[in-house]
Amino acid sequence: MPIVQFAPFSSLVQPAFWHELTNLKIDVLRLSDEILPITGSYSVGRSVKDRETGQEIALGCNLTIGSESLEKRSQLPPHSVIASGAFKNFNTIEDFKAADKTALFNQASEEIWDSIITKKDTSLLNKFFLITYADLKKYKYYYWFSFPAFVSKPAWEIGGEGWKDADGELGVEVLQSIHRNLQSDSRPFFLVRPAGNSVEIGSIEDHDQFFANVPPTSQTLAFIDPSALPDNPGWPLRNLLAYFRALHSSSTQLRILCWRDAELPSSTGTWKSRFGVLSAGAAGVDPTTKPSAVGWEKNVQGKLGPRVADLAPMMDPARLANQAV
Amino acid sequence: MHAIQQQYWAVRDYLSPVLKESKFKEHGRITPEEFVAAGDFLAYKFGVWSWEKGDASKTREYLPPDKQYLLTRGVPCLRRATSLAYTDADEDAERLLNFGDSSATGDEGDEWVETHAGRNHTTDTAVNAGVIEDIPDLDGPGETEGVTSAMGGLNFGTTSAAAAEIPDMDEIPDMEEDDLEAEDDEATAAPKVPAKTPGVIDAAEIEVAKGNLLQVRTYDVMITYDKYYQTPRIWLIGYDENRTPLTPAQIFQDISADHALKTVTIEAFPHSTSLQAASVHPCKHASVMKKVIERMNAGVVEEQLAQRKSKEGKKKWPFGRKTSGAGKEDKNAAAAAAAAGQGEDEVEGLRVDMYLVVFLKFIASIVPTIEVDSTTAF
Repeated sequence: MPIVQFAPFSSLVQPAFWHELTNLKIDVLRLSDEILPITGSYSVGRSVKDRETGQEIALGCNLTIGSESLEKRSQLPPHSVIASGAFKNFNTIEDFKAADKTALFNQASEEIWDSIITKKDTSLLNKFFLITYADLKKYKYYYWFSFPAFVSKPAWEIGGEGWKDADGELGVEVLQSIHRNLQSDSRPFFLVRPAGNSVEIGSIEDHDQFFANVPPTSQTLAFIDPSALPDNPGWPLRNLLAYFRALHSSSTQLRILCWRDAELPSSTGTWKSRFGVLSAGAAGVDPTTKPSAVGWEKNVQGKLGPRVADLAPMMDPARLANQAV
Repeated sequence: MHAIQQQYWAVRDYLSPVLKESKFKEHGRITPEEFVAAGDFLAYKFGVWSWEKGDASKTREYLPPDKQYLLTRGVPCLRRATSLAYTDADEDAERLLNFGDSSATGDEGDEWVETHAGRNHTTDTAVNAGVIEDIPDLDGPGETEGVTSAMGGLNFGTTSAAAAEIPDMDEIPDMEEDDLEAEDDEATAAPKVPAKTPGVIDAAEIEVAKGNLLQVRTYDVMITYDKYYQTPRIWLIGYDENRTPLTPAQIFQDISADHALKTVTIEAFPHSTSLQAASVHPCKHASVMKKVIERMNAGVVEEQLAQRKSKEGKKKWPFGRKTSGAGKEDKNAAAAAAAAGQGEDEVEGLRVDMYLVVFLKFIASIVPTIEVDSTTAF
């Protein structure tokens, strides 16, 4: 059976974030380089129809940070869910280059694992880590995201038919009901159980209670899927699966719903959510030992390396003046 | 100079009175209240649009504090407008062709003008990307760096678009760490998964007619209310396919040639303390909107008269691209009209709620490849 491959998160940093970071650096942080909390957000994967060729084109599996990411209580964009993170701003490019990235990464991944094992909590499953260096004179910002995700051994595999359209598997009424539920209560991960003709959703933490009288063939795990690729669920599913392997190691077969419908499809459109049944062999080791983790974002060249945002064309007063003539 | 100009605009904006009286059909301008009503309608009907507060110090008192401007994020832009249309630069590329080849008559009758001679497809493609120089180590001499960046500035000033397009790769720190993640992770989707199904495909693999890879840019689009011109005003912040912010020169590639560098400029975004964004200058918005509204209004009035006669036909969605499946839309539009408490006694024509919907259609003609006009997607 084919191994499930996940679409990694891609970071999208709005220029407004760099403006905020500049202000923060000058007014508050100054020379401090302590680790600070930050929030990001993602929404369901979107695709767009190319008018010339009629093909559906998947847009990126984005995690966005913006001007509100540094505020304590940030307002979420519509149809989005929150991902908490931490960031560390270095004072010099040398520090940035010399940073012990393995240690920082391990620290972040341990925090996630800890929240799974001790708190049995899903709120940190999407935790990300960001290192930055801001060259304020040249309006250049170096940054490197990591989205720690646990590697599962043996890997999760998907049944012979692969990922299928969710409306075909679960029925349109079920999807409509989920959509209604999410309108009032949007969350990154949730459980779905049938209730009469419709369905109910519950939080992952209440798993045992929620699925107490539900046969395994009606238990569905669902998550807000930032990927729009038909055969690749988004990155958040990886840690959700790790969560289940650690805490519910008895369930070796999971019914997964990749929720991708922020809005009800138009009368001519189709549902975009995907559905698949995943299975994995029993782990040889104790399920509560921390597996290895991956997740540094690749740069523009596709290598593991930092990215740079050059905002001089949009921030440097001299260059803006030239533009205006 | 630009700074002074911006100061002048700020003062002029401050001094100009708030438009009180609704005259949107007479001259295409709207009041702040109408802007809010039209914005509410847009946000209600098209969920991608939402109201934003903006920076607290920049709040305009004639608008509700939580409805300062409209925002939609991640608007896709599949192709460059420059690849759709010929640009001004091509006017200089005319070449006289003489098929007679110094024929016997010798007059000009045999000469042809070939326009757009030597026109290349835009360099902004994955296959034909700008030349990227070797990435030097950061430890390189500091002095020359200043000079090169100064030269870069010079190039930019003379609007040498080609030079400005090439991303400035000078200073990416040389720190690839492929050993950071020891093993190849088999469960990570490769960036380019071969498309097996004809359904959804990864953006990176689409081939356009000329064999070039399609580059999907995304835009954050904002609509503010311009108090001086009494019209909405549109602002754009763009990202390339690697989510790197676009430079002004790159943004101009997505603006139709009639408007790039003329009516579209980079200016300070009014609801932020420091953000700069590309904006379509609103000086002609009112007159264009007036024309568009007049034309549409005639159609809508006719529609409403016919409707009153038949008394049974549902109110029609007054905008084009009607498909058989638009029935739900119609109901919504009718519901919105009914909710506003409008009697059926009088033929009112196009309602001001629709203003921003119409406005987006007009903006779509300026930025043809940016799909701002989500209203046709239904």
